[in-house]
Amino acid sequence: MHRRTPLALAALVAAAVLSLSACAPSTTPTPTGSPDADSSVVVRLALEPTNLDIRQTSGSALDQILIDNLYQGLVARTPEQEIVPALASDWTVSDDRLTYTFTLREGVTFHDGQPLTPEDVVFSLTQHRDNAGWVDASTLANVTGVTADGQKITLTLSEPDSQLLWNLSGRAGIILKEGDGVDYQTAANGTGPFTLERWTRGDNITFARNPAYWGTPAKAAEVVFDYIPDNQAALNAALAGEVDVVTGFDANLKTQIEANGDFSLVVGDSTDKGTLAFNQTSGPLADKRVRQAIRQAIDHDAFVEALGAGKTMYGPIPSLDPGYEDLSEVAPYDPDAAKKLLADAGAADTTLTLTIPSFYPPTISQLLVSDLNAVGITLKVDSVDFPTWLTNVYTNHDYELSFVLHTEARDFINWTNPEYYFTYDNPQVTQLYTQARAATTDEEAAKLLAQAARIVSDDAAADWLYNGASVVAVGTNVSGFPSVNVNERLNVTELGKSNG
Amino acid sequence: MIRYALMRLALLAAGLVVASVIIFFTLRILPGDVAQLIGGTNSTPEQIAAIRDRLNLDAPLAAQYLDWVGGVLRGDLGASLLTGTPVAAELAQKAQITLPLGALSLIIALLFAGPLGVVSALRRSRLGGTVIGVGAQTLAAVPVVWAGMMLVIVFAVWWGVLPAQGFPRDGWSDPGAALRSLVLPALTIGIVEGAMLLRFVRSATLQAMGQDYVRTAASQGLTRTRALIRHGLPGVGLSVVTVLGLQVAGIIVGAVVIEQLFSLPGIGRMLVRDVSARDLPMVQGELLALTAFVLLVGFVVDLVHRLIDPRQRESGA
Repeated sequence: MHRRTPLALAALVAAAVLSLSACAPSTTPTPTGSPDADSSVVVRLALEPTNLDIRQTSGSALDQILIDNLYQGLVARTPEQEIVPALASDWTVSDDRLTYTFTLREGVTFHDGQPLTPEDVVFSLTQHRDNAGWVDASTLANVTGVTADGQKITLTLSEPDSQLLWNLSGRAGIILKEGDGVDYQTAANGTGPFTLERWTRGDNITFARNPAYWGTPAKAAEVVFDYIPDNQAALNAALAGEVDVVTGFDANLKTQIEANGDFSLVVGDSTDKGTLAFNQTSGPLADKRVRQAIRQAIDHDAFVEALGAGKTMYGPIPSLDPGYEDLSEVAPYDPDAAKKLLADAGAADTTLTLTIPSFYPPTISQLLVSDLNAVGITLKVDSVDFPTWLTNVYTNHDYELSFVLHTEARDFINWTNPEYYFTYDNPQVTQLYTQARAATTDEEAAKLLAQAARIVSDDAAADWLYNGASVVAVGTNVSGFPSVNVNERLNVTELGKSNG
Repeated sequence: MIRYALMRLALLAAGLVVASVIIFFTLRILPGDVAQLIGGTNSTPEQIAAIRDRLNLDAPLAAQYLDWVGGVLRGDLGASLLTGTPVAAELAQKAQITLPLGALSLIIALLFAGPLGVVSALRRSRLGGTVIGVGAQTLAAVPVVWAGMMLVIVFAVWWGVLPAQGFPRDGWSDPGAALRSLVLPALTIGIVEGAMLLRFVRSATLQAMGQDYVRTAASQGLTRTRALIRHGLPGVGLSVVTVLGLQVAGIIVGAVVIEQLFSLPGIGRMLVRDVSARDLPMVQGELLALTAFVLLVGFVVDLVHRLIDPRQRESGA
């Protein structure tokens, strides 16, 4: 009895979470016709991965489609960011939060037919922790041991880590076959509901339903991710009936896409943070009053209105992440207060340069130029391509103001690293973050994160222009497309299309 | 003639060597690198250094250049830094879209510019000729992107008769479908390039009409139109062949823009993608192949020109 209780509880919680996520508006309304099991659904995405090596290549374009669909971990996360079972049917956590015990499912096979063994799990997790060059390797730093005893996998930690399950549901937790000879740059061998059918570089990536999948099979026989960078071309493709779903849709074109009745627009929350970084190591931006003045000079509502979707944001944590709270009172829109702050700082007539990657809509720099101009700051705009931004801004910290949309969920850690391009350095924030990671309950962790986030915002470490939304145009004959945070993770197992 | 051809071939080879130097070293001026891109916005300097080391990016430039040229001479264009795919294989695959697109564009441009150019010259003082002339001026000034959008809106979105974008996922296995997806892009390039060609045909025709031999023929009783068609047009054709080399270069530039707009996975789109990913071995191979192609077309045009124009054969070496 004693042994069965956590098991039953875990199953119950998992079932509850699953049924909740089924009722919650996380997916689009089901259309009248039932999905056709032979259908091929075409999804427009904007950003193609540079290569498919999920171990060594960064970028959310990889997490977005490969995790959940091709690769799986012991646990997974729902669009609502809840942790649910995946390759582990259940798990228990010791009272001191230092030992996690997972029960590995039996009968799971990789796409090439090899069986999933407990040794594969031990191999994958230790490799990921030990290879510093692998993406997110540092997130497993607290894991001192990974062992297998039958189907039981045990992780031991050096100290409690409130982020462990979350990290295991991401890149760091992906389970690969030990000694696999697959060329990960162009191919894949996972345990997920889809297999990689084809990658035509510069065009599309096609997934096929995995007939040997251990869980509920995918609804569609084939899902095609069509990479169309240009928004107008994507709209034309949708109107001409060539794609079934358009992600990253420009909300301002809503009436155009809905005009013929074949599509409806679905707007969901996301962890996209439009971040205006301040290089605060020298110059006028080293003065907190100048940074605060810039924040108060910016009309955040105007940004949301111009983009047609999303919401305002006044601190580093978006509403989907733990630790979020409304910080709007820290930097209310007040041009007069901004002017006064600038005068106090002796920076009444300042010229600053904004370095911005060229693929963002020009609206962003235009609004910033006019808002800052209104309080006496002349803003020069330096629009550069992304590799240039990476070298000049990210690596060399050679910038004054910079704009980038940070899409990753739970990436507060960047505010604790003075070497990061944000150039923000506050030991108190670092300490609160460390305490939050070591916290023994999620509530406590969230409380500590909220405290840290408030300090970052109080310090005017940056400004957050908006919290983006997932804007997706979904064909009316399409069901099961996720609507929350689709830039980060896009599980298409439930995606289906009816003939009607 | 053979001596001329050999000399011209030597010139072509020299042109390629110069091009390879320019391509290689100007690309190195671009800020940012592929290691940074692979590492992304959560990487540490140590991780970037490890990637640079893995991709062997830190070798001296001169050594890298000689390595590349040596490979090219052995028929090896190198491999992608991102995926390890051979450049030649990707080029061959993407050329299956770009070459037919270019050929189709050229045919459309010629079909459109030839007859209309001659007619507008013959009717230059009448309304029809003026309309064609002004129309061509206007079309030649139209941005390719805008022309493409208009065609898509009319033929794909409104009428639904042609695809708006993309290429069949199984390539040319259904030639009809493949061809259909090339029609709008080829029309876009063909019309804009054709408008420029039309003005050239028009002025070449006007010039031919002023030639003594055409006037002599006309004085012997042929109508002006017949005299032009019988005696003047071969000369016009010759001039058109001369500008075809330039047209091919124009079509390639057009293809870079148009493939982007129509999401065609051809060489142009691949080039844009590889530049923005700083996958320099790919970009080098693509640019060198395109340069070689344009130079080769120029070479063939020169030879053909020499073969069919008796005046050049007599005076030349």
